[in-house]
Amino acid sequence: MTSSEASGSSEVTTVSGIPLKVSYGPNDVPETAAQAAAVLPGEAPYLRGAHAQGYRSKPWRIFQLSGFGNPEDEAERIRYLLSKGGTGFIMEHDRMTGDHLYDVDHPEVVARREDVGISGAVILSARDFELALTGIDQSKYFAHPGGGVSQHAAFALAGYWTVAERRGLELHKLNGTGQADFFLTYIGCPPLTQIPPAAALRVNCDIVEYAAKVAPKWTPISMAAYNGADSGLNAYQELAALFACCVSHLDEIVARGNVPVEQVAYALGGVSFRVAMDFFEDICKLRVARKMWHRLLTTRYGITDPRALSLRIHIVTAGSAMTYQEPINNIVRGTVMGMAAVLGGVQSIGVSAYDEALSVPSEQAHRQSLRVQQILMHETNIPAVVDPLGGSYFIESLSAELEERAWAEFDRILDNGGFIQSLEDGSLHRMAGENAVAFQDSITSGDRKIVGVNLGDSDGDPFGIDGFEGSLDAFERGMARLKDLRASRDGRHVSRALDRLANTMRSGGNVMSGVMDAVRADASIGEVGDVYREVFGSWKFPVDF
Amino acid sequence: MEVPGGLLTGEPVRTHGKRVLMAKTSLDGHWRGINVVSRALRDAGYEVILAGMINADTIARVAGDEDVDLIGLNVGGRVEVVERILDTLASEAITVPVFAGGTIPHYAADRLAARGVECFPPGSTLEAIVEAADRLTAADPAASDHTP
Repeated sequence: MTSSEASGSSEVTTVSGIPLKVSYGPNDVPETAAQAAAVLPGEAPYLRGAHAQGYRSKPWRIFQLSGFGNPEDEAERIRYLLSKGGTGFIMEHDRMTGDHLYDVDHPEVVARREDVGISGAVILSARDFELALTGIDQSKYFAHPGGGVSQHAAFALAGYWTVAERRGLELHKLNGTGQADFFLTYIGCPPLTQIPPAAALRVNCDIVEYAAKVAPKWTPISMAAYNGADSGLNAYQELAALFACCVSHLDEIVARGNVPVEQVAYALGGVSFRVAMDFFEDICKLRVARKMWHRLLTTRYGITDPRALSLRIHIVTAGSAMTYQEPINNIVRGTVMGMAAVLGGVQSIGVSAYDEALSVPSEQAHRQSLRVQQILMHETNIPAVVDPLGGSYFIESLSAELEERAWAEFDRILDNGGFIQSLEDGSLHRMAGENAVAFQDSITSGDRKIVGVNLGDSDGDPFGIDGFEGSLDAFERGMARLKDLRASRDGRHVSRALDRLANTMRSGGNVMSGVMDAVRADASIGEVGDVYREVFGSWKFPVDF
Repeated sequence: MEVPGGLLTGEPVRTHGKRVLMAKTSLDGHWRGINVVSRALRDAGYEVILAGMINADTIARVAGDEDVDLIGLNVGGRVEVVERILDTLASEAITVPVFAGGTIPHYAADRLAARGVECFPPGSTLEAIVEAADRLTAADPAASDHTP
């Protein structure tokens, strides 16, 4: 919320620029919005919640990102979080090797070897996945095995599933989610090289079709608009872009005709949004997301299955809202954002740790972020009533306004040729970039106040919190594991699997199936990456602003 | 001008002729920060070469070939990687001033300050960053070489 009280004006808007009145009454709620608000949670159009019983029937999943250093470090941190009350886990991989599909001895990695493992564990093969999952029961927990970036997704899923196979578990019983997220890959954190969006769309649909057969309980891919929002997309742009991205996938699935669109819609209907510090706007965004998903699936695809029509939402609280200055204040920010997620009725939450602006979380900060969720869940009674803000004149008015703007933006993206085209031509990047610059300008001008940053005269670090160092031997140990891997596996078996993968990619076969075979044969991440790069080439990031 | 990474910002609205090379030290990271800072520098009149994820050798080469007046490093990783970039610049006799921003813990900022690198952690204002750029390039005798 920005306020220009200093200039004597009383105009106040949301972060997305929606004007806010001083108070709201019945005349502020459009008739159609009032009708939707009169429907109970768990009933179409699901504005008020995906489930009638809300958190009474199923608490939200405490789903925190974790991982740094070596696979053993990651296993230890995941076990730690699960022992403290986490109810699922997200494996965070080293981005230099993971996002890029590079082996640790790739020249670009060696050039920055000290960075290896700083923000995720170095996981180079199925064997490394086994190490990272030591002591963790895959049949018990809902897992996100990594693969946020599109080109990494098939490898990460294959690694996790291969470990399950080696442990004698049946894939069709496993629960979890992939990501393969276009917002991370192409807007938020584009790697040095990445396969073009059209190739990623093809691979994503291959993953969906493969999972439909072998792991039907799994959410094979999940679009995380979080990474678009943290790059600058505002609330209604985030909604619009996410659904435009889902449309690009669903249209492709319909065109292929191999798997019923209802089934894919259900799988794709586990999405991720960002919650930041505009409390009510973000709550409304989550409510509206469910309503828009319902309308999109019914009108565009004729879907009637309620399981597909009720959107499930994972929330990550905004990393960018966490300040470097006076980091302990971030506990309050994490709490406020987590509370918005709960009031928005989401299924799964990850709260950023208070040392977010400094490093990956220390064990203490990680535990604290999990405690925020447990306090909200167990101490406050906030989860007792589903959609407790539903029917509020303000909430329904703001929800309606957001929805209207989101559909308008959605139509613009589709009129522009669709989501992929809007990535290719940089229009989404420009949209995000302009907002990011405007946001920063509002902090510079003082219109937007951030405690400890431009308000409160901070001296930087009064609480003595500094970055978590992690493990310093991740590069050397990764090199040793890679050497051992190459020496101890059946090299001809690997070569044949990689050849088959290349042929599959070229012939239009199922890429996920080919990656699975290569990973089962103990191919390394860089070897799989070489095939991707050879067949698909690389996309040029359209920075132009 | 072909810069590895292939990323160029648009032409500055007004230019004072000074050039800044913006690079990410790590293969990890979000682009929001470097984009916003690059845009602010461009708006302040700099010709910005937004090269992104280029390694130490390439930073040194581009800095030399493009005759830049300033190097901005977006740090998303360890201080040792930044120090290697500084070592590489020194070994190539490139004396262009360097400043840095990003997730830089205090101990790392102290080490970089000892090498003459001013750090702008999250929460730094664009005003302060542009002011530093102006100050650092004003002190650079090469800066006048291509002032229009």
